[in-house]
Amino acid sequence: MQATTYQTDLKQAKDFLYAIIRESATAEGLKWLDQQTHKLEQEWNYRTFYFSFSSVPRFLGKATITYSKATLSQARELRSGFSPEGWDLTQLVRTYILLYLPHNNEAEYAQTIDRMCETADMYEQQAIYAALPLLPHPKALTGRTAEGIRTNMTNVFDAIALQNPYPADYLDQEAWNQLLLKAVFMGRPLYKIDRADERANPELARMLVDFAHERWAAHRQISPEIWRFVAPYLGEQYLSELEKSIKDGQPLEVEAALLACAQNTYSGGRTLLEQHPDFRQRIQKGDINWNSIGERYNA
Amino acid sequence: MKFIDPHIHVTSRTTDDYEAMQAAGIVAIIEPAFWLGQPRTKVGSFQDYFNSLVGFERFRASQFGIKHYCTIGLNSKEANNERLAEQVMELLPLYVGKEGVVAVGEIGYDDQTPAEDKYYRMQLELAKEVDMPVMIHTPHRDKKRGTTRSMDVCIEHGLKPEMVVVDHNNEETVQEVLDRGFWAAFTIYPHTKMGSERMVDIVKQYGPERIIVDSAADWGVSDPLAVPKTAKLMLDKGIPEEHVHQVCYQNALAAYSQSGQMKESDWEDVAIDQREKYSGNSVLRGGQTPKVKGSSDIVEN
Repeated sequence: MQATTYQTDLKQAKDFLYAIIRESATAEGLKWLDQQTHKLEQEWNYRTFYFSFSSVPRFLGKATITYSKATLSQARELRSGFSPEGWDLTQLVRTYILLYLPHNNEAEYAQTIDRMCETADMYEQQAIYAALPLLPHPKALTGRTAEGIRTNMTNVFDAIALQNPYPADYLDQEAWNQLLLKAVFMGRPLYKIDRADERANPELARMLVDFAHERWAAHRQISPEIWRFVAPYLGEQYLSELEKSIKDGQPLEVEAALLACAQNTYSGGRTLLEQHPDFRQRIQKGDINWNSIGERYNA
Repeated sequence: MKFIDPHIHVTSRTTDDYEAMQAAGIVAIIEPAFWLGQPRTKVGSFQDYFNSLVGFERFRASQFGIKHYCTIGLNSKEANNERLAEQVMELLPLYVGKEGVVAVGEIGYDDQTPAEDKYYRMQLELAKEVDMPVMIHTPHRDKKRGTTRSMDVCIEHGLKPEMVVVDHNNEETVQEVLDRGFWAAFTIYPHTKMGSERMVDIVKQYGPERIIVDSAADWGVSDPLAVPKTAKLMLDKGIPEEHVHQVCYQNALAAYSQSGQMKESDWEDVAIDQREKYSGNSVLRGGQTPKVKGSSDIVEN
């Protein structure tokens, strides 16, 4: 029996979530929730757990929650990169209930998460995948996460890919590359993918450049954000593609291609940058950066 | 007029049906879990079926401006495969609480075997445990006795009659169902159940209290417009509009909203947007133009 891996202190995580729930829930809803968790603590059984998890909208509703700056920074202290921003009351409560799942047996834990995802509706899947950075046994959940990435439901995909530190921390390169490529295909905002720069790799750069070629052959636009992950591997091999973006691309594409040139010491890229002094200045001042490009492109 | 069809198996119906239902004024439907015309052999088929009831079929209905709810349960026919039934019973707690599930159902008797009785009782206990309404399927054969027995067992298990809808009634069963305080639903289905003219007579005789009209349209020869057509016939035959509204809309809402999972505001101001996709699947196929209709538009005649 190996020791459990924790990504966060579960008791603190529960307290954190419960404090927000208490602010937004009705007295009745809170009473129901307390009854359920009391049952789960006193005499654990899966029936109650499954039923509680799925019934949350019936008893607590889906109120929108506004998270204060202080709350969000508390979330990051709890677990680096973690943010509940955008979660409604139902999702928050489902996450809270999920933390009651016994986890002394890794295989059984992973199996239960699997079973829940297989039988979950769209919003339940969203809650489970977005809760990944808080769950114990993170290494046992990578296969399930890779499966989740295969979804075509945007809200489910976003729960895994955006503002979620789990994928960058635990996915192997193959799954990571699929996540990124799929985000490009689905038109998701790449700048919201947690710590994506750290996971850049030559294989991903090649796939993205191949993708750009496909798009161009079909007379379609490319997302300017893809150059972010090509930048570290810029050399003779990708120079002509960047040139093409600078010459024929949309304004944001030009910015992105030149920013990629600026982020690499490769002389070919430097030369391109010299030819556009106005952009070079804006890059140096920090006016052009990946976040601003991503925000404007996905606006 | 607006209508609710509180029993229809839309999984088996076409998009043409959906369009016709929406044009006829149906705003919300309930799809009970049932058998598919042939017995399932593996629990996985049940799991995927339940998934489609709370997932894709609900989305498909929404594309036509219809709000879709469902009931979850092990039907009486398939309760006779005990090995499978045991596995389905383990699956039910995962589904009964899900969003849009308004009852445990349709459950009850078919041949009235001991196995059917066993799983019917187990599911009544489940409904009680999670405080959900029950939808009862009364048997085609030996109906009168089966209907009485269905209600006896409900009472025996401590269910409140107002939480139980007894479906597929006829002239022979209605009196007892109403006398005992249960909801009495009638299925307008050619040849095997009720015809719409008989339905008119029933409402004339018993009044609109606790009476519900549905179509149970499915994979057989049946009519997804049975509710609006019956409503029209009732009006033509002089039944007050208020009563028609009660049996073709209000009573179903009252019965199933006890689940806390169905309310009128769910479908008021529905906008149809066929550009939406579920799981990457639109109901539209290549070359079709999406229909986008705001709630202020007029329904074409």
